[in-house]
Amino acid sequence: MPIDNAHYHGWQGSLRSPWLATLALVRVALLQVLRRKLYWIVLALGLAQFFLYWSIIYAVTQLDPPPAARERMLEAFGFSAQPQPGRPSGYILFMERQSVVVMILLAFSGSVLVGSDFRLGSLPFYLSRRIDRRHYIAGKLLAIGAVVSLLTTVPALMLFIEYGMFTSSTDYWIDNWRLPVEVIAYGAVLAATLSVLLVTLSAYLQRLAPIAITWSSLFVLLPLLRSALVRETHNRYWNLIDPWRDMSLVGRLAFGDFDSPFERRLALWALAILSAISAAMLVALVRRVRSVDVVE
Amino acid sequence: MPLVDIHHLSRSYGTVRALDDVTLSLEPGTIGLVGNNGAGKSTLLKLLLGLLQPDSGGGSILGCDITRSARQLRGQVGYMSESAATVPVLKGVEFVTLAGDLYGMPHRDARRRAHEVLDYVGLGELRYRRLEEYSTGNVQRLKLAAALVHDPRLLLLDEPTNGLDPAGRAAMLALLEDLIAETGKSVILCTHLLGDVERLCRQVVVLDRGRVVRNGTVQELRSAAGDCYQLGWQGAGDAFLTALRDAGAVVARQADHRALASVPEGWSTARFFELAAASDAVIDFLAPDEENLERLFFRVTGPPAARLQQV
Repeated sequence: MPIDNAHYHGWQGSLRSPWLATLALVRVALLQVLRRKLYWIVLALGLAQFFLYWSIIYAVTQLDPPPAARERMLEAFGFSAQPQPGRPSGYILFMERQSVVVMILLAFSGSVLVGSDFRLGSLPFYLSRRIDRRHYIAGKLLAIGAVVSLLTTVPALMLFIEYGMFTSSTDYWIDNWRLPVEVIAYGAVLAATLSVLLVTLSAYLQRLAPIAITWSSLFVLLPLLRSALVRETHNRYWNLIDPWRDMSLVGRLAFGDFDSPFERRLALWALAILSAISAAMLVALVRRVRSVDVVE
Repeated sequence: MPLVDIHHLSRSYGTVRALDDVTLSLEPGTIGLVGNNGAGKSTLLKLLLGLLQPDSGGGSILGCDITRSARQLRGQVGYMSESAATVPVLKGVEFVTLAGDLYGMPHRDARRRAHEVLDYVGLGELRYRRLEEYSTGNVQRLKLAAALVHDPRLLLLDEPTNGLDPAGRAAMLALLEDLIAETGKSVILCTHLLGDVERLCRQVVVLDRGRVVRNGTVQELRSAAGDCYQLGWQGAGDAFLTALRDAGAVVARQADHRALASVPEGWSTARFFELAAASDAVIDFLAPDEENLERLFFRVTGPPAARLQQV
């Protein structure tokens, strides 16, 4: 039977919960990121480190040395597959090393995924459907969280799976089940904090240049300032002005593996600071989204 | 069931009263919503979309309570906004699918339906182009497709011909006429272009300073202006016009042998010929003068100059 395209056809079906629409927002956001060549370059840079470690783990495991020698060989490349008392594991270090690329990618993503909704008037398109502001905000936060996870949590978990796979035993996965949980916890802190910060900044600043300047000030200048202040004043509380360090400390709170009680106290302070900043940012974001008129 | 049934609805922004005790009962059909800037159109649209809670009053739209069932309401309404409101980088079919997803349609249904409505609005060939490549006219069609994707019972069209050239405007109006005729969907058309309302709508609601100042069919509103005729004659014009005035008609001369006459109730057209014969004039043209919507609009809301003085 030929398809009749010239006439209108109705649709019958039931509409689903608007919370499921947040998944559509994530899907579209990833499409928007992956359709730009610039992002592929940044993604390639981010994945280069992953492929490097992937190759190192593959090579070292295929040589099949005794476990202690294997660990020493990996440590020579700045990676450790075993839990390190009082220190972050190799997977967490890998995620921390991704921070520069994550920061660059997010600086570009903010203007495309969120800024353009305000600048080009796309927001009324979303809010005049069956979703409201809560769903829109949740969708955008999840989208940025997905971009962050693509470069941090997902590759770190893949390295963990790879190591267990190539050592020909499930014992590694069973004995070290805390490692992936630690990765997921740190990844969740990164995704939650970075997404709230970026979505809010992008909602206010909207254009690429101001977002990139503010973003790099937060994640490049503050760490530089932190190291200078700690060096000059010998006051380790200055570490708390570095957002990367705060996120790292909060991530480690999941399993309480700290060098000293002071480090643990610092982690609790970091948790309080990040929670307060995120809450303030969330309030600002809700106010910004609420101020947009759906009907002009 | 009435399309819109609202009672004593009021809404203020600070000290500004955007809607003032509005009571409206609209039957399904095509309705034009007209009014000057600040008349309360946007506030009424927000209430119709369930985006705003009234300060007082209440009612229902398509049977959904406007104060309690906002989401259910939006599932039955398709909104085409005035602004560009597109999502950059997406292709046409992805944009309409996203609209379906946001309405809560299952993704596969949304995708299939996006293809159908894009074909229907005449964008089948362009469905895989990025939105940045669409012309203004095609963006308007695309927004209409996005409003239709979940097959709503009511379409709210906010300035659908805004920014279009004459050919694009004619094409959009023809598409809307076809849609209304074929589907029988109810449409509320919010526009400044009164010609669009005259062409598409059976009913008109005129808002002014937050109040409904006229509500009725286009024909009813025109007839409420009183009987008006265009007259043409040969012979003694001055005497004829004086005779008309003496008989109670209000006459405005438009040219040497042309005039517009508004006549009192119960006037028979034979009276024109009697008075002309008595004044040595011969009528060579007589036709009822239908008030167009623009004149009606200014009659009920005040002429533009008067409004400027108020400002």
